Amino acid sequence: MRRPLGIILPILLLIVWEIAAQSINNQFILPRLETVVPVLLAPTVDILGTGSLVHNALVSLERVGAGFLVALAIAIPLGVGMGWSRRLDAFMDTTIQLFRPIPPLAWGPLAIAWFSVGINSMVFIIFLGAFFPVLLNTIDGVRSIKRTWVEVAQTLGASERQVLAKVVLPGALPTIWTGLRVGFGIAWMCVIAAEWLPGTTSGLGYLTLYAYNFGQMHYIIAGMITIGIIGIAFDFLFRSVEDRWFCWRGLER
Amino acid sequence: MKGMRLLLFGCLAVLLIAAGCTTTQQATGDVGILDAKTSGAMPTLLATKQIDGYIAWQPYVEVAPVAHIGKVITYSGSLPPDDRWKNHPCCVLAASTDLMDRNPALVDAMGAVTILATRYVTDHPAESADIVADWLAGKGNFTYGNITVSSVEVLNRAFPTVKFVNEPSDAWMNGQVEFIYALRELKTLTGKLANTSDAESKAILFDTGPYNRANAMIGTKKFTAPPAEANPIGVGYLLSDHDASLFVAVKKWQYFNDTYGIALKPRDPTASKPDVADLLVNGKKVAEVKLIPGSAGPQLMQLAATNAIQFAFVGNPPTITAIDKGTSVKILMALNTEGSGVVVVTDSPATDWNSFVQWAKERSAAGNPIKMAVPGKGSIQDIMLRYALEESGLSIKEVQV
Repeated sequence: MRRPLGIILPILLLIVWEIAAQSINNQFILPRLETVVPVLLAPTVDILGTGSLVHNALVSLERVGAGFLVALAIAIPLGVGMGWSRRLDAFMDTTIQLFRPIPPLAWGPLAIAWFSVGINSMVFIIFLGAFFPVLLNTIDGVRSIKRTWVEVAQTLGASERQVLAKVVLPGALPTIWTGLRVGFGIAWMCVIAAEWLPGTTSGLGYLTLYAYNFGQMHYIIAGMITIGIIGIAFDFLFRSVEDRWFCWRGLER
Repeated sequence: MKGMRLLLFGCLAVLLIAAGCTTTQQATGDVGILDAKTSGAMPTLLATKQIDGYIAWQPYVEVAPVAHIGKVITYSGSLPPDDRWKNHPCCVLAASTDLMDRNPALVDAMGAVTILATRYVTDHPAESADIVADWLAGKGNFTYGNITVSSVEVLNRAFPTVKFVNEPSDAWMNGQVEFIYALRELKTLTGKLANTSDAESKAILFDTGPYNRANAMIGTKKFTAPPAEANPIGVGYLLSDHDASLFVAVKKWQYFNDTYGIALKPRDPTASKPDVADLLVNGKKVAEVKLIPGSAGPQLMQLAATNAIQFAFVGNPPTITAIDKGTSVKILMALNTEGSGVVVVTDSPATDWNSFVQWAKERSAAGNPIKMAVPGKGSIQDIMLRYALEESGLSIKEVQV
């Protein structure tokens, strides 16, 4: 029953969109559905010389993947450390809290100066977007491990390393996974914005900005819909894994 | 607010006197100036009635009539005062002094490529417009509601309004010095160029050596091969037909290679907007060239300041401002003159500059002054519009956002 119900509002929105577009009759404010749909139905056709929707989506995904992986590689070990050691947490926390509220895009000018034009500066910005949610969830996951689990392992003679690898990390994994899901969502938003940096020549973000130069709103909306669909698809993937492997979290009391 | 206006008026009066125009008429109306940062946003602002008109570089001027959202009332060469903006400087080729010191022959070679391509553009306008349409829009169509136009058509309309020339002549340099005066009045020059004499300014801004040497090489058809560069060279450009010479150099590389033995060969010749090319001299690769687009001049100058690019095909005021702030670049030659235009909404009664002024005065008297968008404060277009409005007895009110 949930799915059919969830589909009603999008359909209504489409109808309202078309009626509004027809009555406004200004494609700069709202292009008509029939100019946007053909673009989405031909995802392999070149758009204004910037490449096709599929090509640009793949480019954006590659960038977000790289930035996301770098974020995981740093945030998970650091998060485990901060969750496990109060001293490390006390040492790092103020700094983390200072940097966390800075929007990744505000780093744009510095990113260009430090990592120069191209993928590295974009990866840096995506990394910043994904880093904090993953880090905070990892810390939280490690802290919420039941003391009894750790104590049982220690009583049975497990070394600190074994406790971390066999008890803490698996026990924290469901919460870390939630961090990954949130982090990927933010990283995906960041890649679109990162592609507005000077020197970019591809990606869905670039495509939408480029179409803006010529007032091609139907391409912009097609790009936005593609961004949305890819975002939902990845969220669905993360959630399926969660349901499949981490359903024990809700059961264990 | 009133004090601000008086101050602005005072500044502009000084500006006009400094520029040799002593006819400081009493202002009889206001015009709002909105800084849209780049040309790209303007058609949208116009179509959604957020502005009454704009001044922009091509091809964004032609987008308005083609989309039936506005009309062109004048091109920049005919803006008042009379003849003041005829052949006005516009885009230039700038190079980093670091590269000029390290590998001067490479800068000469890049200069030669640019000059040859500019000649080609002048001799083959229709083919060049086609190439630019491919570069800017993959020769695709623009759709505006029920209207669909080919990008080739837009570029064909825009092309005759741009003059493609390279020579850094005295008149052209003096034109640049005029921009220095205007930028000083806008308080954007606070560094090296804040108080220089004209001769000092020219010495700081220009190095015509590469132009002269490139021209000599073209004359003898003998090109000096520079030492190969180990690292890629960055070339920044604007998405405008003003930079047609760069696009034509890359797209017609085979012709230039066969005829002169010097060319910018794209790695992917099928791409409509290649991003990597090889600079070939006498058939040999001397540098990998990264082609980096920017949406406006200040962006490109930021890239130059951080050494991400070594050459820029860019407007002159951003270059002057960047040099003033200490960016190590020199202007080598012109790329084009003129090539901007003033657009107003379709239902405006204005058909030319004089009726535009009349309209602006009426709207101001009715308490609803018109709002014009400019692509960045201190840009060529911004400066020309300010001068022209002042000359016509209108005063400027910055739209604060």
